[in-house]
Amino acid sequence: MLCFVTENMGLLCSKSRRYNDANTEENAQAAEIERRIELETKAEKHIQKLLLLGAGESGKSTIFKQIKLLFQTGFDEAELKSYLPVIHANVYQTIKLLHDGSKEFAQNDVNFSKYVISDENKDIGEKLSEIGGRMDYPRLTKELAQEIESLWRDAAIQETYARGNELQVPDCTHYFMENLERLSDANYVPTKEDVLLARVRTTGVVEIQFSPVGENKKSGEVYRLFDVGGQRNERRKWIHLFEGVSAVIFCVAISEYDQTLFEDENKNRMMETKELFEWVLKQQCFEKTSFMLFLNKFDIFEKKIPDVPLNVCEWFKDYQPVSTGKQEVEHAYEFVKKKFEESYFQNTAPDSVDRVFKIYRTTALDQKVVKKTFKLVDETLRRRNLFEAGLL
Amino acid sequence: MPMYQPSKRDMVVGFEGGGDGQILDLDTAVKDGVLGGVDGGVVGTGVGEKLDLRKMIQELDLCEVPTVFICPISLEPMQDPVTLCTGQTYERNNILKWFNLGHFTCPTTMQELWDDSITPNTTLYRLIYTWFSQKYLLMKKRSEDVQGRASELVETLKKVKGQARVHALKELHHVVAVHATARKSVIDGGGVSVLSSLLGPFTSHAVGSEVIGILVSLTLDSESKKNLMQPAKISLMVDILNEGSIETKINCTRLIESLIEEKDFRSEIISSHSLLVGLMRLVKDKRHSNGICPGLSLLRTVCFYKEVKILLVSIGAVSQLVELLSGMEHECLELALCVLDSLSSIPEGRVALKDCVSTIPIMVRLLMRISESCTQYALSILWSVCKLAPEECSSIAVDAGLAAKLLLVIQSGCNPILKQQAAELLKLCSLNYSDTIFISKCKLTRTIQ
Repeated sequence: MLCFVTENMGLLCSKSRRYNDANTEENAQAAEIERRIELETKAEKHIQKLLLLGAGESGKSTIFKQIKLLFQTGFDEAELKSYLPVIHANVYQTIKLLHDGSKEFAQNDVNFSKYVISDENKDIGEKLSEIGGRMDYPRLTKELAQEIESLWRDAAIQETYARGNELQVPDCTHYFMENLERLSDANYVPTKEDVLLARVRTTGVVEIQFSPVGENKKSGEVYRLFDVGGQRNERRKWIHLFEGVSAVIFCVAISEYDQTLFEDENKNRMMETKELFEWVLKQQCFEKTSFMLFLNKFDIFEKKIPDVPLNVCEWFKDYQPVSTGKQEVEHAYEFVKKKFEESYFQNTAPDSVDRVFKIYRTTALDQKVVKKTFKLVDETLRRRNLFEAGLL
Repeated sequence: MPMYQPSKRDMVVGFEGGGDGQILDLDTAVKDGVLGGVDGGVVGTGVGEKLDLRKMIQELDLCEVPTVFICPISLEPMQDPVTLCTGQTYERNNILKWFNLGHFTCPTTMQELWDDSITPNTTLYRLIYTWFSQKYLLMKKRSEDVQGRASELVETLKKVKGQARVHALKELHHVVAVHATARKSVIDGGGVSVLSSLLGPFTSHAVGSEVIGILVSLTLDSESKKNLMQPAKISLMVDILNEGSIETKINCTRLIESLIEEKDFRSEIISSHSLLVGLMRLVKDKRHSNGICPGLSLLRTVCFYKEVKILLVSIGAVSQLVELLSGMEHECLELALCVLDSLSSIPEGRVALKDCVSTIPIMVRLLMRISESCTQYALSILWSVCKLAPEECSSIAVDAGLAAKLLLVIQSGCNPILKQQAAELLKLCSLNYSDTIFISKCKLTRTIQ
């Protein structure tokens, strides 16, 4: 009797007798989905989200790749191979930039003669320039590699390369040019180092989830790292989507104080970074977010300081050198660091001054440095969590 | 049922009344706690008179010495006990002084002495000597243990990393905090440079805070201080100051202050936003008031430099400090006023002081309230502010009761320069008023008028 009643109760509740079975299945599915949502929401809460921000070519994506190498399984063979077209593309793009750049200098510069490409390389230059301008690039063959190499060794190109900061010559130039033989090999598979240097402009958002494995393996902290493109675009439209991230990792390439933007050749890159930094600091969505400032590309900065004084950048115009060599590099670095500190405090509202703000010196290509730096970031964020929970 | 009962006459272990004749040597007697002082441990080997009793008493500096060892006159342990005819024992020098003052009584029993001889109490002396010797040897051994441990830890730190490093540092921190001898052995063993080398751009908070905690309790020589003044190390100290517990914050503050005292100090190291913001945070901390004085002390030291003054004003420290003055303890007040006075020496500082509404009333209130130094600073600040905008400020000041206070200063026993300054300020303020109005504002009594 009872089961008859309960059966019929079901009949009464559902719209139609025919769909009775389907409905319970749907209900079960719906319940399952709800349960899953609830579980994931709970899990989500424990995931610390980190956002990589910074101007273009500041090293965000390199940091991203490093984290992947350090704390995930790294790049498998398929992924490494997937970078091959990117690396070849970089080679073509770069040599084209240098070639076109040398022509420009040959036309406009006072000492034009040193930028004139030698006769035997002229045709090669034109050919490579044409290839570099295409949408799709041909595979890098041995012949092409040799041609690129001979152009690279041309005195005019070397002179042009010395003025690379006036063009948009990427940092990986020297490395790829010196490795052409290997890159053009028929069985070439990119190495980790090659992949770290490969330059592709990030569009959209990429993310990875990882857990830093420390000495106590059960550290349990889970991070999700987001990398967004760095070039000028409608940042203000999407930035608020990142409200509630645990920390913003703001990357700055300190070596680019004498370079101009890809998007706007009249704008100094450091000034652009300064403006971006200040803009990000003022965003309401980051009022309580910790800020980790990565002063990146220290290795290039180190080499540049003896030759190019900091004051070429307007922001650093009051810089005065005190010594030479390594001490001077340290002094210059401290100066830059202080400028960013100043900017931070000038653009932080008094009641936000309590948020965590730390500066790290990084060389994103150096895995050891990134690992050590990230350990410190992890420690800081954990202490912050304990502090906010009132346990510290 | 025992046939023989030990005599209860002497309730002392080891001495049996009657003829059992067990005689214990002094060391054993004392060791077993005859006088309830020594707890196990060291076996005294009947040490010869090599250890000087006076030295031992001084070094040990114990609070709990058996009462029978104490001279009733000086309440100090006796080094040369002598007994009077009444049977009472005193320190020789003290009882002789008593006699020299013309008294011929026994101080404790008040009896008139029938016999002026004083007998050296050799037995008591022996007991005192043995008791102190045992304590002394125990202390020495413990101290050596501690020194050994400290040296061991310094060696360990040269080798280990990670969690082991943190543990070693924590232990060393504890040892050094408790035992002065450990500190010496750390310094002698080259520990300072080992610790210094652990500070760098990649030092974790856990390691850094312990190292700083240890360094701050050691006396550092010039060389070590110079080493610690490297920009990267100072940066680390500033970071840890901003993030650490209150104890860590105070340690960082003290360490940085000790480094500044060194000559060849480059002021640009401390003209750092992070440092000044961190110090202000420390000073404003309502939960932990023990950080206020160290924070203010360092602020006062760094305010010596002009760049720092400008920076400090730019982060809004002036109004923050002024607002804090009302709730401060006296020691802190003087420091805070010194900082504000220092800031009033630059134009930006003066403007900030003037713009802060509470400045004038609080300064007026503080005159002649706390100490002469406080009055001096408050006066100096008032002078700076009133000089900047005489009409506006003097009326506020006078309304707050400045005139009466200034008169107090002039009439007080303060130093003449201060009185002179008070007089000048009074003159400045009175310029805008007619005599009668001004006097009424002074709220003076008839007689003074």
